[in-house]
Amino acid sequence: MQKVLALLKPYRLWVVGALLLMLTELAVELLQPLIMAKIIDEGILKRDLDTVFYWGAIMLGIALAAFAAGIINSFVAAHVSQHYGYDLRKLLFDKIQSFSFADFNKFASSSLITRMTNDVTQVQNLVFMSLRIMMRAPLIIVGGVILSLVVNMQLSLALLLTVPLLLLFLVAVMKKAGQLFSIVQKKLDKVNNVMQENLAGMKLIKAFIRRKHEGNRFHKANESLMNDTVSSLRLVEMTTPILLFIMNIAVMVILWFGSMDVSSGEIKAGEVVAIVNYATRITTVLSIFSFIIMAFSRAKASSERINEVLMSETEMKDGNRSDKVIAEGAVTFENVSFQYPDTDEVVIRDLSFSIAAGETVAVLGATGSGKTSMFQLIPRLYDTTDGTVKIDGTDVRDMEMERLRSEIGYVPQEALLFTGSIKENIRWGNETASMEEIISAAKDAQIHETVQKLPQQYETRVGQKGVNLSGGQKQRLSIARALVRRPKILLLDDSTSALDLTTEAALLQALKKHQCTTIIITQKISTAIQADKIMLLEDSILTAAGTHEELLGESVLYQRIAASQYGEEAVYGNASSS
Amino acid sequence: MAMRHHHNFNTKKQKPKNWSTTVKRIWDYMAERKGQLILVFLMIIGSSAFGLLGPFLIGVAIDKYIVPGKMEGLPLLLAAFIAVYLLNSVSIFLQNYWMIGVAQHTVYKMRSQLFRTFHRLPISYFEKRQHGELMSRITNDIDNVSSTLNSSFIQIVSSVLTLVGTVSVMLWLSPLLTALTLIIVPLLFWGMKWITSRTGPLYKQMQKNTGELNGYIEEIISGQRIVKSFSQEKRVSAEFMEKNEKLKQSGYWSQTFSGFIPKLMNMLNNLSFAIIAGMGGYLALKGMITIGVIVIFAEYSRQFTRPLNELANQFNTLLSAVAGAERVFEILDEEKEESDEITAVDVKELSGNVEFQDVSFSYDKEGDTVANVSFTASKGQMTALVGPTGAGKTTLFNLLSRFYDPDEGSILFDGKPSISIKRESLRSHMAVVLQDPFLFQGTIRENIRYGRLEASDEEVEQAAVMANAHSFIMKLPEQYETVLKQEGGGISQGQRQLLSIARAMLADPSILLLDEATSSIDTITELKIQDALKRLFQGRTSFVIAHRLNTIQRADQIIVLHDGTIAEKGTHDELLCMKGHYYDLYQNQISERSG
Repeated sequence: MQKVLALLKPYRLWVVGALLLMLTELAVELLQPLIMAKIIDEGILKRDLDTVFYWGAIMLGIALAAFAAGIINSFVAAHVSQHYGYDLRKLLFDKIQSFSFADFNKFASSSLITRMTNDVTQVQNLVFMSLRIMMRAPLIIVGGVILSLVVNMQLSLALLLTVPLLLLFLVAVMKKAGQLFSIVQKKLDKVNNVMQENLAGMKLIKAFIRRKHEGNRFHKANESLMNDTVSSLRLVEMTTPILLFIMNIAVMVILWFGSMDVSSGEIKAGEVVAIVNYATRITTVLSIFSFIIMAFSRAKASSERINEVLMSETEMKDGNRSDKVIAEGAVTFENVSFQYPDTDEVVIRDLSFSIAAGETVAVLGATGSGKTSMFQLIPRLYDTTDGTVKIDGTDVRDMEMERLRSEIGYVPQEALLFTGSIKENIRWGNETASMEEIISAAKDAQIHETVQKLPQQYETRVGQKGVNLSGGQKQRLSIARALVRRPKILLLDDSTSALDLTTEAALLQALKKHQCTTIIITQKISTAIQADKIMLLEDSILTAAGTHEELLGESVLYQRIAASQYGEEAVYGNASSS
Repeated sequence: MAMRHHHNFNTKKQKPKNWSTTVKRIWDYMAERKGQLILVFLMIIGSSAFGLLGPFLIGVAIDKYIVPGKMEGLPLLLAAFIAVYLLNSVSIFLQNYWMIGVAQHTVYKMRSQLFRTFHRLPISYFEKRQHGELMSRITNDIDNVSSTLNSSFIQIVSSVLTLVGTVSVMLWLSPLLTALTLIIVPLLFWGMKWITSRTGPLYKQMQKNTGELNGYIEEIISGQRIVKSFSQEKRVSAEFMEKNEKLKQSGYWSQTFSGFIPKLMNMLNNLSFAIIAGMGGYLALKGMITIGVIVIFAEYSRQFTRPLNELANQFNTLLSAVAGAERVFEILDEEKEESDEITAVDVKELSGNVEFQDVSFSYDKEGDTVANVSFTASKGQMTALVGPTGAGKTTLFNLLSRFYDPDEGSILFDGKPSISIKRESLRSHMAVVLQDPFLFQGTIRENIRYGRLEASDEEVEQAAVMANAHSFIMKLPEQYETVLKQEGGGISQGQRQLLSIARAMLADPSILLLDEATSSIDTITELKIQDALKRLFQGRTSFVIAHRLNTIQRADQIIVLHDGTIAEKGTHDELLCMKGHYYDLYQNQISERSG
């Protein structure tokens, strides 16, 4: 918590100012019962009207002063909290931007999003509330008890004894409630989870007619959520009446001893009134105390989550050979082994190959054979565990990351578009691209015609709230985004899987005129055939490499794949004719 | 003291469109627990009355015993006090106790109904909407209703009662001092109006900026891998800072102005306290009131500004809760999937002869998605559907499983029109393997068993063996007990697809629908399931959509769809001889191979 709150440092004068203003308000509030006592004892009981009006006017005056202080406090507190929130978000966002892929594996993206939105808001609200009202509650309690002690020590003993006890009671209940509510939260998650699954899998559920089965599952979760919510809420709601009762008993005690003392002349009636008034004020504040404890513990949890992000070390160091750029695009792997950070499984084992500049290479392999991992090593999204990846003879670790990546067009397996127009999405790959370049990239990616048919063509919005594109359309747009970069190296990670064969063929044809090294991960022989070279990965190892014909001759696995996709006669017929 | 679940900062505070009907409907839910609700009301009346009585008795004590310094009779009064306070506490406790029951029962019912409604909505409803949006209704909106019912309901009722009660008692004690005290009410309204007329637009602006910023954060963080790969961090940061700055500005002003509200309330409290002390003192000197009355007024004045404040606070919560409930009701009122025709019957056995007779259908009733489709699939035959995206392959699947019914023509199962068979009965003879292999959170065993709930462990494993899923399952640390998470969860997309095939195997249907089931399985994995599929198809009428023509060469008939109509129909060899669409598609593969 301290680390996150340390961001308040630049605003400490503002914070002090806000707190002083709040103290002013508080002082006024605490003085009122005292003045009231004066009015009663020195005014009414002594039948002195001037004194009554004199103190009445003072009360009015300080009330206005407190109001002024409160208004200024609003400005100051808002200033602090907004700047604080701004700084915190900036710090987090920059930190996240500096994350490497390996760092991203430590946090689910949904969790990063909550940290940046909800958690920041929680902490920010805590700052705002603390500066304005939160601190008030404890201060009123302390101040109220002290001032009543000042008014009359003996009489206020009742307060001095009950208030700390009640506070302890509150804290204990809150602690218990905290546990109960985290159970409730889990139950709620469970209910939402079932619901979410049902929404996502509705078609399947209907097809398998599992409505009753799902209904039972939901009913169970829902009922147990209800029961737990009821019992934890009831516990919490019990505190207020208990609190009220005990404080009221304390007031009774004060009245009882007060009237004895008044009759023996030890204390004035006004003073009794003042102490009673303090007691009722404290009662009011006590009941919002639990709210404060809750807000505090929530903000604490939030700030811990934020802190986790801020404290996580980024492992990748940027290269410093600023003179090195990708000129040709030749890719070499030298004895590369790789496993994802914090895992045991070796994904790539001792992989060596080289791809000449301008060559097109297809990579085939079963799921989990390490193809995507191999791809990610080229733009240095991960560092190798062993061995080196070189581009044009330079170790990628020596190159400046930004320069390295600016020459690579990477099309990941899952086509992800950003909110904005189609034009903007393609231009994402290259900010300086002209409209002609965008269209040309779109044409090569075989998406131009589709775009032309959309209502607003290149201005059509996609992503959230935009038009729905099919998987294949998204894939082609993300290929266009990579092509518009005019990359020296183009990486296509199974990016044509959702395309039909005709479109795919046209796309591959169009790619040929781009002067770049192209590496394609694919499942389809029809795609692989078009490459200059085919690499076959099996269980993290490169088992075969060569042209289609060579592989047909050498690799049993390749023969089987080809046979499965073309029928045996075609494969062996073709092989023998070549 | 309301325990709130934690809320999104950017929860939309929309105004309900139809306030009275929505409130009435919420009320109907609550009225199911009428007895408890009446008790809650009684307890609120009780607690409000006892709450008024307390300060009143203090005033009496001061006038009769403390000021004159008299002790006789005081113990009796104090006993009365204790009784009043005890009753007060008990009634507060009980009203909450019962209200929580009523509120949670209401929320429970709403959730259940929503769930049931989802299952009765036609599949098109889900295709049109994002799950995220629907989920937010269930989570945020119902949560909103829940917390409002828990706290706001009692607070609103008791605020009103307390307000009326205090003012009445004050008027009875001293109309003049009451009038003076009430001076603050117009001030309060004027002040609140001044503030809210400013905070309203400011809040809207801030909500908008928050929404934009959060949306941006969400998008960039989800797309972080792209950002990195394209090294766009700087650009993204710059855009982020712009949005962050905007939020800071609007947040500053809306927070400042809304911060005025408690300050205003405070000031008015202090003001009324000063008025009561000063003017009350004056009146007391004139002998018009007693000191006890001043004390009562001092307590009461706080008791009536507080409810005013609370009413103002609760109003917004109430509005957003009602708006939330309205959105939930909107779903409940959606048109449900047509129930089965009265004449529809259960079918115990289905041998699997399927016939399409001149079937036409469109989703939006403008322009047919499929038109005049006729073909026959006999028992045990494999029918492959081929054609470009949008040709109507998936639509035929939807019609087969009665997610939709044909607009014209009919589909016959063993000679019976599909609409004469109950949906669930029909589907019980089918199994589907969908493009997106949807799995539930749970163990692998549970997921396969979804195909047939009463299947034994052996049968589950048998199905997995047949689907060639057994070997990879056994390699997992927990084997069949491995828990699958929604995203990834340690198994690949292809493996997920194998599990969904095992699930279909277990269902042992007479009709099988495979929707591009093998597209996400890599070729090598696919090799493994080819003979498994052969086994699966054995003796079953099967319909397959596949892009890779090689997987369907052995189909008994291939139907080539084009723009919703059947362009060609025949076996692989027949179609090749026709030299039409299919021939082109096939040549495409061949030519690519030699190219």
